[in-house]
Amino acid sequence: MCPELNDNPQSRESGDMDQFLLVALNGFTLAALYFLVASGLTLIFGLMRVITMAHGTSYLLGGYIGYVIVRETGNWILGALGAAVLVSLLGLIIHQVLIRRFQDDQMRVALITLGVSLIGTDLMLAVFGGTATQVPIPQEYQVALDIPFVGPYPLIRIAILAIAIAVGVALTLLINMTRFGSIVRAGVDDSQMTSATGVNVRVVFASIFVLGSALAAFAGVAGGTLFPLLPGQDGTYLLFSLVVVIVGGMGSVPGAAIGAVLVGLVSQFALVYVPTYSLVLTFALMVVVLAIRPQGILGRKSAA
Amino acid sequence: MISARLIAAARVSSLKSLWQRMTNTRLITAARVSSLQSLWRRFGWIGWVLVLLIAVSFPFLVDRPRFWLPNIGVKSLWLGIIAMSLVFLNRYVGLLSLAQVTIAGIASYGVGYVMVTLGLPFGVAIPAGLLVGTFAGFIIALIAARTKAIYFLMITLALGQVFFSWASQAIEVTNARRGLAPIVKPDLGFINLNEVTAFYFFALICAVICYLLCRYVAASSFGLTLQGIRDSPERMAALGYRVNRYRIAAITFAAFIASVGGVVLVFDRAQVDPDVVSLGSTLDVLVVAIIGGILSLGGVFVGAIILTMLDNFAQDFTDRYMTLTGIVFILVLLFAPTGIAGIGKQVGQAARRLRKNDFSESQSGASPEQEPEATQLTGDAITKGNQQ
Repeated sequence: MCPELNDNPQSRESGDMDQFLLVALNGFTLAALYFLVASGLTLIFGLMRVITMAHGTSYLLGGYIGYVIVRETGNWILGALGAAVLVSLLGLIIHQVLIRRFQDDQMRVALITLGVSLIGTDLMLAVFGGTATQVPIPQEYQVALDIPFVGPYPLIRIAILAIAIAVGVALTLLINMTRFGSIVRAGVDDSQMTSATGVNVRVVFASIFVLGSALAAFAGVAGGTLFPLLPGQDGTYLLFSLVVVIVGGMGSVPGAAIGAVLVGLVSQFALVYVPTYSLVLTFALMVVVLAIRPQGILGRKSAA
Repeated sequence: MISARLIAAARVSSLKSLWQRMTNTRLITAARVSSLQSLWRRFGWIGWVLVLLIAVSFPFLVDRPRFWLPNIGVKSLWLGIIAMSLVFLNRYVGLLSLAQVTIAGIASYGVGYVMVTLGLPFGVAIPAGLLVGTFAGFIIALIAARTKAIYFLMITLALGQVFFSWASQAIEVTNARRGLAPIVKPDLGFINLNEVTAFYFFALICAVICYLLCRYVAASSFGLTLQGIRDSPERMAALGYRVNRYRIAAITFAAFIASVGGVVLVFDRAQVDPDVVSLGSTLDVLVVAIIGGILSLGGVFVGAIILTMLDNFAQDFTDRYMTLTGIVFILVLLFAPTGIAGIGKQVGQAARRLRKNDFSESQSGASPEQEPEATQLTGDAITKGNQQ
């Protein structure tokens, strides 16, 4: 189901401790990717109380667009930005045409976006084919960084980890420090009241949806650089971001970070020590969290 | 005195009396509509007998039974049975479960494991499959019953994927990607299920039994309690009902129905592999339930026929059959949330609403009881996520 997980660099001759650290580092870089995808989902849910099942489609489409742009121009940053802009435009259209009218009907939004993802999967298969493609790594990042106790480690993975941390900090600052963020938080608490105070909540909703789509597309370019892009990954990443968001607590950005780290670490360690049951253990984590805290680690009680 | 007033009013202008006569005829048509409805209620079983007659004579009506029966007939029936378990949960419990395909798949794997790996006859395999599937449903219920609405949807989806990933890897039990084969259809002596027509009737009987069972359970006191819990869990809890236990029991019952679908499925496919429980199959069943009508236990079979027809015939003019399915799915969700089965009612309501507008222009106080029904049916078709 998830062949790219086997693609991790492993140094066989190193000792147990080294391997442990390496696996942990792999877990963190994977977590970075999961966080980038899931943060968009959790932002959208937090404000709008709807789940977009087309989130994985945004991820894979972003990856493909990034691949095409990077292949044509050779500029990775341009590819990432281009993918984010194009996919967020598509997200805006989907939000305006399909979602806005059913704002209060969570279930119908989930099902409609599931239909969108069905169409997206099929069309992407038609356009980009069934073979694996990978976004080219920028020349200056094709080196290994020597990390103490771990040994050489691909610089691009460290870079993406750094980007994810930066995005996480930026999102937290945006939500907590800016006027836009305070409007968003007010909208999360009570969108009707916020609207009554003169804020155009619809514009806020649309912009959060656009931001979420852009984050997913950006994650797609990052993920497409680390691992090959394949048909079916839209479903895989949708599921992983759902698990991350459920574990971390729906609607909370720090929760998504915690969830992503947990899921990334569990899946990587399981892959090394009990390879057959890696995915089962990842989902078992979700079941355990749900049994103890149905609303997720940082989720609010009312949300569950 | 009233009649005197009426006469006076009629004298005011002949135009007004003309109006009144027109509205009177309208009133009669409205009465006719409602009498039609009561007719349907009283003689609706004739409609069901007709549907059943068509279903029974289906093998003798089609030109190429060897194509139509397995590809459209039997497949529609097991898709419909699985989708029916989903509709049952949505309609009577208010939970939209995406794990029904997984449960059916687990029943299929149960049958496959007993017949292929253990080499036991179908007489053991079928009860074993039903038991395993129902038990899996019980486990899923234990995990997911505490959550509601959108959370339930996501968790059942994720649990389904757990089983999918396990089934694609566990060589010793499920034979991983290659799956368990061959699963031969049994020869019951008096009837050989290897014959296409015989197997079609076997599937049809299973479907009818499942349908009647669902109707029976829904109408029992258990079913009524479920509907009470769906509408107001707090109130039912305050009345002393153990809400969670009822939910778990309902999910387990739906799991049994889905398992029956899984048993038919596994004999139809003659093998079981992870594709049976993949995300694609999950979406197939969801599409069937939505297109057929998420509130209609019988409508799912219409949805199943539409999907299998699309599956078989859309390939003649387009490669993008999935896109077509997705577009139909979204259109149904946008414009007819009660599905094909609800379209008749929707049209009737629209007509009645038009008529009601005429009434309110010409004559106030006409049929006030019809309005709430109209909003209710279109609005609550799919369990709203916001309910707590």
